[in-house]
Order: sequence, then structure tokens, then C-alpha cells
Amino acid sequence: MNKYQIASDNFDMDSIEFLPNDFEFIGNKPEEHIDSNFASQDYWKDVFIRFKKNKGAVIGFILLVFITIMAVIGPMVSGYTFDQQKIEFQDFAPRVPGLEKIGVFDGSEVMRSPGGGSSRVINKYKTTEGAADVYYWFGTDNLGRDIWTRTWMGTRISLIIAVSAVLIDMAIGMSYGLIAGYFGGWVDNIMQRVLEVVNSIPTLVIVTLLMLVFKPGLFTIILALMVSGWVGMSRIARAQMLKLKEQEFVLASRTFGAGSWHIIFSEVLPNIIGQIITNTMFSIPNAIFTEAFLSFVGLGIPAPQASLGSLISSGYNSFTTHPYQILPPLIVLALLMLCCNMVADGLRDALDPKMAQM
Amino acid sequence: MKKYIAERLGTAFVTILVIIFVLFAMMQFMPGSPFNDEKLSRELIEKLNEKYGLNQPLYVQFFKYVKNVAKFDFGISYVINKNISINLMLKTRVPTSMRIGLQAVSVGAVIGLLLGIIAALKHNTFWDNLTTVISVLGVSVPSYVFALLMLYTFAYRLGWFPLLYTKTEPFRSSLLPTFALSMFTIASIARFTRTEMLEVLDSDYMLLVESKGISGPALIFRHALRNALIPIVTVLGPLVVGLMTGSLVVEKIFSIPGMGALMTAAIQANDYNVTIAMTYIYSVMYIIIMLVVDLLYGVIDPRIRLAKEDSGE
Repeated sequence: MNKYQIASDNFDMDSIEFLPNDFEFIGNKPEEHIDSNFASQDYWKDVFIRFKKNKGAVIGFILLVFITIMAVIGPMVSGYTFDQQKIEFQDFAPRVPGLEKIGVFDGSEVMRSPGGGSSRVINKYKTTEGAADVYYWFGTDNLGRDIWTRTWMGTRISLIIAVSAVLIDMAIGMSYGLIAGYFGGWVDNIMQRVLEVVNSIPTLVIVTLLMLVFKPGLFTIILALMVSGWVGMSRIARAQMLKLKEQEFVLASRTFGAGSWHIIFSEVLPNIIGQIITNTMFSIPNAIFTEAFLSFVGLGIPAPQASLGSLISSGYNSFTTHPYQILPPLIVLALLMLCCNMVADGLRDALDPKMAQM
Repeated sequence: MKKYIAERLGTAFVTILVIIFVLFAMMQFMPGSPFNDEKLSRELIEKLNEKYGLNQPLYVQFFKYVKNVAKFDFGISYVINKNISINLMLKTRVPTSMRIGLQAVSVGAVIGLLLGIIAALKHNTFWDNLTTVISVLGVSVPSYVFALLMLYTFAYRLGWFPLLYTKTEPFRSSLLPTFALSMFTIASIARFTRTEMLEVLDSDYMLLVESKGISGPALIFRHALRNALIPIVTVLGPLVVGLMTGSLVVEKIFSIPGMGALMTAAIQANDYNVTIAMTYIYSVMYIIIMLVVDLLYGVIDPRIRLAKEDSGE
């Protein structure tokens, strides 16, 4: 019998004769057998490609990087420090070299009466002695402090607070949820009841109480954000753990003698890292907002330190007469939250395409 | 379902107790005593302590405190309005805050629903994109940013609305704060309605309804929206939180004499008694609303109810 002939019950293969030259040898390099469309790309490269396709997320990411860089170098480039006061240079409007020649940011401001009645233009750089060659890019506040420096200083502090609070949140919430989900039974029951009670106390209340007991400051704000922020993360971690712990790879690991600790953090955790990252990204704007809110209410960073919230709060006092004082921190805050949300949206869709919104 | 309600009530009750306990503990940790006057002699202080029951053991004081708080009796304000009972201060403030809160919720719900429906019906058109932009902005930008921008543009520059809240024009002067507060509601409801409507419009039963010859408003409102509305109940919880925190700042900006403004003032003036009273009231409100939302969700969506019964939760 010819070695290329194949027998079959319902198809008479004997009548077909395969000849050696029916087939063409295309080489035997191993990579040519791999489906190059999908198989050779690892998960993170896939994620990156999907993220890149989302225009909003990319723009948000670029802006976010820009704001972060400005938060680092911004305070250094203006030549002023954030707490340097010059009382004779108070309430100066923005003045930028170069731009002043075309009539914007030339240090003049319009004083108006409410309702758009009478108005007149003044320029304090010209009327104040020794201010002819002074430039404040974003103007000065009511104590003569440079708003440019203070805005980026405030951005830096807001970012530090938000990122550290969220990272701690993530660690606590993740471990809590994973442990509760893995062990189940009475452990889960008790942990869930505790979580329900913590979750039923409004964040506002937790934060206010903590701020009353401790001295206002960086650490207290981070602590307050931490106490209230871990619940959402732990819910997600627990739900994922409940789903994954019945799967074969966990069983296999256990059969090989892996301990609970190893299964939780080395087997299950890498599989849910996508959701954890997305949730962390969504928590950052929340933390920034809570901090700004606290500062606005008067529970924030004490002066002369500034955060975006406290800058908005002090700009608010004179925002009808000197709107330029409140605008920079307000715009940075809004942009920061917007960018974080857009990046988080993009990350969610990229990490888990099934979750992509229609 | 009964078991679920009982458990949910139990959790709410325990939470309120925990909050009362924490508040009581905080009172003990606060520095100083109510009788700091140097002119008071030792005997007089002892007499005062006896009069106010401060010489009794802590647990007796605690039970007394629980009893008072349960009756919403918080004592007097020490700083903001000297020796005025907090209940008296709240009497006019609660209705004001409630009215503006309700206005914000209604405006937000109506506009949000409309935007969401339009976006879903005109999927991938200009209206859809506009809704997405509005909802991203509304969720990301804090309500006080809107409040300040609106105050500057419409009240200060254009003069269409009064700058601050006035009792003589309670409606016209509450319009700006209402819109500032409702932005978050509009955004989240629009976003949610859009997603849900898209899902429902794509479903088999909508195809069936359409093939039976139903079209127009009856199709959208009676068949699509009704099913899309169920999950929207879940966003009510976050919305309430947003309104509560939002009201604190927005009431300060527009100087509305409401609960949020009182709490802000109390925090800034270190009026512990008022702060603690407001904290308690906000917590109770929050817990009750969350309880109602949870139970409502169980009632509306049979799938949740059945799942809860199965798992015995």
C-alpha cells in the first residue's frame, strides 16, 4: 500500500493517490510555525497596543505626565519660593515676558463692579515702585507670594497625598479581600461584617473625626484617605478570588503542596493585577478630590504649605476681584482629575477588552 | 427576603451604635473640660459636675449619651451661637438643605435620563459624543469648580442671578447652587442610562416588541427605559454621597444657611459639639439612604432577591 494513502469509512481514499510533489516544503524554522498574529505577543504588549488606540487615554496620559513633571520642576524655574512674601507686591496680575508685547498677560487687570457696570484697567507693575522689571507668570496672591510656584508646589503635595494614600489603600484592600475570599467560611463572614460597618460610615465623617483628633497635616490627610478608601478595592479582590480559587491552576498548585500564602499572592494575585491597577487608577482622582475638598473646608494642609485645595480656598476669598488667583489651581485640579479618569478608562478597556463599554 | 431585610437592618443598627460609641469616645479625648473658668471654685466645679452628671461612671454617662442622641438631642453650641440649642439651629437649616438637595436630584435625574436616552438612540452621533463629554466632565470635575465658574459668569459678570442665597428670593437664588450640585448627578445618570439603554435596545425582547409593530415613545419608554432603569438604582448611593460632600462646599460658596454650611462653620470654628452633632446626622442620613437603596434594589430586581435567598446572605 502506498504510504500516502489514507483509509476512511465513508470516503474512499484509496481512489486518491497522493504524490510527493503535491506538497511543497516551506522550511522548518520553528518560528514559522507560530501564528504571528497573536500567539507571540505577550499580554502586556497587547495591553499597550489597545491603550495606544484610545485617543482620549493617550492625551490624558501625556497631560498627566506633563503635570507631574511640572509639579517636580515648576517651583524651581520661577526664581521665587512658595512661602516668600512681598507685601508691597500683593495681588499682581499675571505678567509673562514676550506675551506682554501682544497685549495679554501684561500685568494689567480690569477692576469691575458687579453686574458688568463700570470698569477700569489698572497695572500694578507700572504703579508700584521697583516692579517695572518684575515678572509673575501667574501673578501674586494677597500676601505677595508667587502663584506659579505655589500652584506647582500645591500640585506636588496633592499628588504625593493622593498617590501614597491610594497605594496604601491598594495594599490593605487587596490583602483584605484576597484573604477573606480565599479562606471563606467564618473568616470571610466576620471580615465582611466589619467591612459593612466601615462602609456604612460616610467618608466625610471618618475624615472629619480623624482630622479633629490628630493635627492637620500631610500624614493625617493620608491616614484619613487610607481609612476610608480600601473598601472598594477589597470588594473587587474578594470577588475575583471567589471566582478564581475554584480553578484548576489553584488546585494544581495545592496538589504540589503550595501553602495558602503562596497561592494567594503568587498564584491568584498575578491573575487579577489588571483589575487592581484599574481600580487604583480610578481611586487617584477620588483621593485628589477628597484632599481638595478637605482643604477647602478648612481641614487641609496648614499654611504656608499649600495644596491645590487650599490654594482654591484662598483664591476663593477674592475671586470676583482677582479671578486669576483661583484659576491656575482650579484648572490644574480639574485637568488632573479629568486625565486620571480618562487614563483609568483607557486602562480598564485595555487590560480587559471584555469590559470595554459599547 | 425577610432574612435579608433583618440582616440589613441589623447591620445598620450596629453601625449607628459604633458611630455613637466613636463619637462618645472622641468627646472624652477632647482636651479640656466644659468648666474651664478660673473663677470657679473646686466645690462649684464638683457641683456643676454633679448637675450635668459628669461625676458618674463612664458607662452610665455613655448610656445617657446614647439615650440623648437617639432622641436627636445634641445639647448646645459653644462657639457659633453661644448657648443656643443645636436643634434650634437646625430647625431652619434642614428644610433649606433638603429643598436644594431635592432640586438638585430632580434636575440631575431628569436631564441625566434625557441625555442618556438621546445618546443611546443616536448612538455614535454628535449627541452621543456630547453626552460622553458631559458625563466625563461632570464625574471628573468637582462640584465646587462648577459652582465657582457659574457664580463668576452668571452672577458676577452677567448679573442674571443674585450672588448669594437670599431668603427673599429663595427660588431664584437657589438655581445656581442647584445646577452646581446636580452636575455630578447628571453625569453619572447620563452615563449609566446610556450604557443600560444600549444593552436593552440590543436585546432579543426589544426585537420581539418591534416586530409586533410597537414603535415611537411607547417602545422607548414602556419597554426599553423600564428595563434600563433597574440598575440605575445602584448609582443612587454614590449620588447621595456626592450631594452630601458637595453641599458642604457649595453651601459655603453661595452662603446658603443650610446643614452643610453649618458643618463647615463648625469645623472651622472648632465647635466640637456642633461638629459631632452634624457628623451623627450625616451618618444616620447616609445609613438610612443606603439601607433603602439596598432594599429597593432587592425589591425591584428579582434576580438579586433570589440570589440573596440562595446564598442565605
